[in-house]
Amino acid sequence: MNEKIKQMNTYFENQIALCKQKEKDLLEDDRADEASFQKIRANVYDIFRTILSVAQNAGHDNSETVKYFFLEKTEQIPSNWKAAYEAAKQHDDVQKMLIEKIKLDTIYEIRDKFLNCWEKTE
Amino acid sequence: MTETEVIRLFKCLSDKSRLQILKSLMIEDMYVERLAERLGITAPTVSFHLKKLAEAGAVSSYKSQYYMMYLMNREIFETSILELLKGKSDDADIQAQRDAEYRQKVIDAFFEYGKLKSIPSQRKKERIVLDVIADKFEADRTYTEKEVNLLIAEFYDDFCTIRRDMIAEKLLDRNMSGYWRVKSSEKEK
Repeated sequence: MNEKIKQMNTYFENQIALCKQKEKDLLEDDRADEASFQKIRANVYDIFRTILSVAQNAGHDNSETVKYFFLEKTEQIPSNWKAAYEAAKQHDDVQKMLIEKIKLDTIYEIRDKFLNCWEKTE
Repeated sequence: MTETEVIRLFKCLSDKSRLQILKSLMIEDMYVERLAERLGITAPTVSFHLKKLAEAGAVSSYKSQYYMMYLMNREIFETSILELLKGKSDDADIQAQRDAEYRQKVIDAFFEYGKLKSIPSQRKKERIVLDVIADKFEADRTYTEKEVNLLIAEFYDDFCTIRRDMIAEKLLDRNMSGYWRVKSSEKEK
């Protein structure tokens, strides 16, 4: 269980560092809006890094409880993002659609990584 | 072009991806996926930049068969920077422009897709929000309370508070027969 948590934390740290590097590169390349998208991605990783730590405390080191808690949050939290994406789509608001899509794509990636990590080390 | 429009255009152009989109559109009109392929960025990101360029008046679009084609607004780029700088605004215009920008900022912050998100706590901001709702009332028409409630409910669920505040702000008036929109000249009395 600790190994899985460690793997996920390493993944979050690497992804956040990668986003920060991309943000820096994009800013240097005069692409401020695209740089801000990297900031949004980094924030999503950071939110779910915190949630994993909350899940660990709530799960009292029980692998299944941690898994259930974390996966539940990956459904609950993005539900507002999905609603915001649909509302933006209805109103052809491409700017908001893109921001919500970035958040949703990031959480889908995190969920896949988590499932992969949990199943692999089981 | 007004100063605000000039600033928006310059701000919009100070982005490498948007400049590259314009460079591509200089060659020929293109659709989103084609631009994405050329520039190596995702189609949603291209759409995002095109929206900004369109808002700044730098590009336009038209439908061609299955595609939405984008074209560069050449007349904007044929204007010299000197011509753009020549445009002067007097103080009254500047003030009116600032007021309009402030009003728009409040509307953008408190309304989402035509729905009021929350009632502003600051009176000045609430007045702007109420003005927007009041604009939906026809002049010289008397409304029943039910009609007023339904009209306000399209914007916000708590129609009682809004209705009461519109009366307090003298945007609506009432008597036994119903409610009506107060005309600007009456408000000043």
